[in-house]
Amino acid sequence: MAYVVQSDSLTKKYGSILAVDDLSFKIESGTITGFLGPNGAGKTTTLRMLLGLANPTSGHATIFDKPYESLETPALRVGAVLEATDFHPGRSGRDHLRTLSQAVGLPDARVDEVLGVVELQSAAKRRVKGYSLGMRQRLGLAAALLGNPDLLVLDEPANGLDPEGVRWLRDFLRDFASGGRTVLISSHVLAEVAQTVDQVLIINHGRLVTESSLDDLTARVGGSVRVRSPQLTQLAEALQREGISSTQSNDHALLALGTTSEQVGDICFAAGVAIHELVTEGSSLEEVFLDLTSGEAS
Amino acid sequence: MNHQLKAEVLKIRSTRTTMGLLLGLIALALLFTILTCTLSPTSQVITEQDQVGLLSFGSIAGVFAALAGIMLVTSEYRFGTIRPTFLFNPSRRRLFGSKIAAGALAGLVFGIIGEGLVFGIGIIILKARGIPITMSAGNITVLIAGAIVGTALWGILGVGLGAVVPNQVGAVISLLAWGFVVENLVFGFLPSIGRFLPVHAQDSMMGLTTQHLLPGDGGVAVLVVWTVALASIGLTMLKGRDVN
Repeated sequence: MAYVVQSDSLTKKYGSILAVDDLSFKIESGTITGFLGPNGAGKTTTLRMLLGLANPTSGHATIFDKPYESLETPALRVGAVLEATDFHPGRSGRDHLRTLSQAVGLPDARVDEVLGVVELQSAAKRRVKGYSLGMRQRLGLAAALLGNPDLLVLDEPANGLDPEGVRWLRDFLRDFASGGRTVLISSHVLAEVAQTVDQVLIINHGRLVTESSLDDLTARVGGSVRVRSPQLTQLAEALQREGISSTQSNDHALLALGTTSEQVGDICFAAGVAIHELVTEGSSLEEVFLDLTSGEAS
Repeated sequence: MNHQLKAEVLKIRSTRTTMGLLLGLIALALLFTILTCTLSPTSQVITEQDQVGLLSFGSIAGVFAALAGIMLVTSEYRFGTIRPTFLFNPSRRRLFGSKIAAGALAGLVFGIIGEGLVFGIGIIILKARGIPITMSAGNITVLIAGAIVGTALWGILGVGLGAVVPNQVGAVISLLAWGFVVENLVFGFLPSIGRFLPVHAQDSMMGLTTQHLLPGDGGVAVLVVWTVALASIGLTMLKGRDVN
């Protein structure tokens, strides 16, 4: 198995505060991984250690099998955005990108190319202080894309984005990953990334709480799927045969507990039950997240 | 020019800060030179040392060069661009080397413009007043070379200071307090120590022979030692410091 990112017992102490505590995980190539946890859980500190910006107190991390700083021209393999505000306000967006592209010998044509990708061409020559938060987020993303990387690391990229911006980001990340490239995206809101990620790493108080696919997570800790069907009785029986309990939520729908939409769909198909609607309850994901993180907190 | 140095030079050129510093230097150099060369009594600008002293004001470019050097590092911390900068060039030694080179280049430009203006305008005014130029070619060479090389070293000192004190306000206040207060106090009360401090070392480099100053080559050596020391401390701190 090819692992793009590996964290091995990563630990970071600031004085007596343990920000990251013996954190180990691996990220496979070609996945979109949500790195989740409440504010202050240690996500940003972990990302900074991965990217060589902060020195671990103990443990180590590698990207493409090497410490970040040992990669030859790392910007050509890894693109990262850690803050949406990392710009000199008096510099134009294009010049900001040029200061980075020139540092690794990329031509100005590549700058113009990525400005096109993030749809910022028209504002390219304006000074960054006139940019909205959404434009700054996209400029940061453009910087990360300059080297045409195989791995994107984004720290809370949806912060402050309006719904249209969130959708643009989601589509962008899906498109980026569709070519077999890898994305590590942190967030303190599971719902923000639930439609984007394949798997999740959840941390709290610097420790790994869980590492799994999103579907497994939902099923494991009691996610629910709402099914609308004209054959509720047959459906409930079919679910029961598979060991899945359910409750009728109204005359036309029932809630299958502790399962995934894929599993319920397969059961319905096998049992010949017609379904008119199949919805993973979004709130349950958030509940899962809150359960996991608040459980650790207590 | 290596890639990172090219990027550092672009950072200087792509904001108005450095241009503002340059305009400030030009205005100050013009104002001082025109006033002093026009208003000083002839008896006070007639000897070789009088003229060297009068036309050495170009060394003020060192303050502006040091400010430009400080900005090269502290702006990165102030605006957070240090994160992408380190991500694109994680070798902090190489990055710092490029900033040192960019600081020296900025210093050279500031030195040439600052001393060039002071010397050029000063000579024109003195000649227009009918005052003979008593400085030898050697005096003039030392004066101009000392101002320009010294200012380039101040550009590097600024980069070093910025790496030691990444807080922009803190670094600027440290520089100004040192240059305008601390050094003058030390030189005034303890000249045997004060002459080994960087501002007075540059005075020596420019051929000033004020009492207690080091000889010219001693001034060069002392300013180089200060520059190397501060840059080394700056590099050590830059390498060890986490970026938040």
